Amino acid sequence: MASSGNKNINSKLVLLGDSGAGKSSLVLRFVKGQFIEFQESTIGAAFFSQTVAVNDTTVKFEIWDTAGQERYHSLAPMYYRGAAAAVIVYDITNQESFERAKNWVRELQAQGNSNTVMALAGNKADLIDARKVPEEATQTYAQENGLFFMETSAKTATNVNELFYEIAKRLPRLQPAPNPSGMVLVDNQSPSERAASASCCS
Amino acid sequence: MRIKDSSNVLQKQRNRKSRSLLVFHEFENLPYLMLEQENKKVDEHEAGSVALPKVDRFGFVKQEANSPDGLTRSRSAFEYEREERKIRKWRKMIGVGGSDWKLYLRRKPHVVKRRIRKGIPDCLRGLVWQLISGSRDLLLMNPGVYEQLVIYETSASELDIIRDISRTFPSHVFFQQRHGPGQRSLYNVLKAYSVFDREVGYVQGMGFVAGLLLLYMSEEDAFWLLVALLKGAVHAPMEGLYLVGLPLVQQYLFQFDQLVKDHLPRLGEHFVQEMINPSMYASQWFITVFSYSLPFHLALRIWDVFLYEDVKIVFKVGLALLKYCHDDLVKLPFEKLIHALRHFPEDAMNPDTLLPMAYAIKVSKRLEELKDEYEKQHGKVSDSRIKQKLQQLNDADAALLQSEGKQICE
Repeated sequence: MASSGNKNINSKLVLLGDSGAGKSSLVLRFVKGQFIEFQESTIGAAFFSQTVAVNDTTVKFEIWDTAGQERYHSLAPMYYRGAAAAVIVYDITNQESFERAKNWVRELQAQGNSNTVMALAGNKADLIDARKVPEEATQTYAQENGLFFMETSAKTATNVNELFYEIAKRLPRLQPAPNPSGMVLVDNQSPSERAASASCCS
Repeated sequence: MRIKDSSNVLQKQRNRKSRSLLVFHEFENLPYLMLEQENKKVDEHEAGSVALPKVDRFGFVKQEANSPDGLTRSRSAFEYEREERKIRKWRKMIGVGGSDWKLYLRRKPHVVKRRIRKGIPDCLRGLVWQLISGSRDLLLMNPGVYEQLVIYETSASELDIIRDISRTFPSHVFFQQRHGPGQRSLYNVLKAYSVFDREVGYVQGMGFVAGLLLLYMSEEDAFWLLVALLKGAVHAPMEGLYLVGLPLVQQYLFQFDQLVKDHLPRLGEHFVQEMINPSMYASQWFITVFSYSLPFHLALRIWDVFLYEDVKIVFKVGLALLKYCHDDLVKLPFEKLIHALRHFPEDAMNPDTLLPMAYAIKVSKRLEELKDEYEKQHGKVSDSRIKQKLQQLNDADAALLQSEGKQICE
């Protein structure tokens, strides 16, 4: 969980999603500004950290990048338990990866930690011609489920830093007090984003 | 010569071998072909738009011009002579195509063990691995099976495998070329296994194991070695690493956690305080037997011992790594600690330093106790079904092989 401190906070963030959706590539882009076309599969999990400045606060994300294959599911709870934020990644060119993403959302919701900021990232947005998952329907799904949603491209860097920045802004620790426990309050962003995130997870 | 071409040469060599009895002379040139590439000048005709990557002696593309991999330095005449002597000894021990191996193993198992711990000569590695793992026998007893699995069967894991093919050893010349011979054999081996054992299917991590094997043998040989390992031809079956719930990974991590506390109590306590558990750094050690996490030259040396002595060496090497870096690790806070556990210093990656340390750590008895303890808490990671499958392979023959293999190694 986010730890206390006026100017610096640490936040545990976990990436979940189907194998090959681009979890490691998103992290690599965010942390090192790199993109590798053939990123080695993640076995087990990998750890990274990166800081984001939001107004006068520095948020340090401690990022767990997990293995995506279903068979590794049993290792995942250790990484998402107690996480301040979860990024659920799917591949916009792969409908099945979106179904897996929804399963992850359900699983996290069932954990009942309403303080966890959940983001849904539709990755590989550069492959627009191969799109299988429509953006509008996903936006609706995200709103209904209280997720912050963005389409990203680790390859072109589109929306990658933005994604992590928006997550940082939504961390309960950064919200102005008073903040009733169990509620995730958001500051005023563009209407669609606000709609996507201003909700109390069940 | 382009690298692509030499990969083809390697592949042709492998294909030629795959159906016939292995003659070890054919193995001899493999690593040296790789080595030669470093010195070859690019033929302007062939270079075209393809930039030739610099590779180390194992065929991995070098990250930086001066990246040390522990083995690229040129060898002195003395070292060369010593290596030649070693190879001669090994040839004598194996006989032509492995004909004398079993006899030697029965008569002098301690000599075999000692020599394997010093490292199998690279030019004989592929053959010796097949001999000590019991995979040669499986191959000979099951003619045509591999071909059947590759050509005629379909697998539910095909898409999963394809997705990972270009993400397995992406920095190795053999596996780099899209749809090239390396990627094709990797796909075939993994697909064949996923059909052979549909319950295991394909699991991420298996590709690194199969990939490592494919650098030393034909795809059919690599397939049977995978079978020998997962089904337990000689040692305890490994397939629990890949079954639903990863039961054997969970057991190994439990055992490793306790071993750290036993052998390195201060570090164990530090891990508890920093909330580090072995799953965060060691799951990949077990799932890929270090082929994913460590430099290749060290991984190979560990594999030599692993195939002969069993998974104990993974625990020992893991403990040795922690022991080697102990004094630094106990001072590090969470984040730096996690990083250090994924990036061990260069000097720890020297097999001749690390492995003797590992050999000196005794774990057998404690591993047994911890296994019992784990089974009391979580139930048994059953292996009865595994034995059943092995028997289906060749009924009495396979069972015989298994018990014979065990006797040989005990």
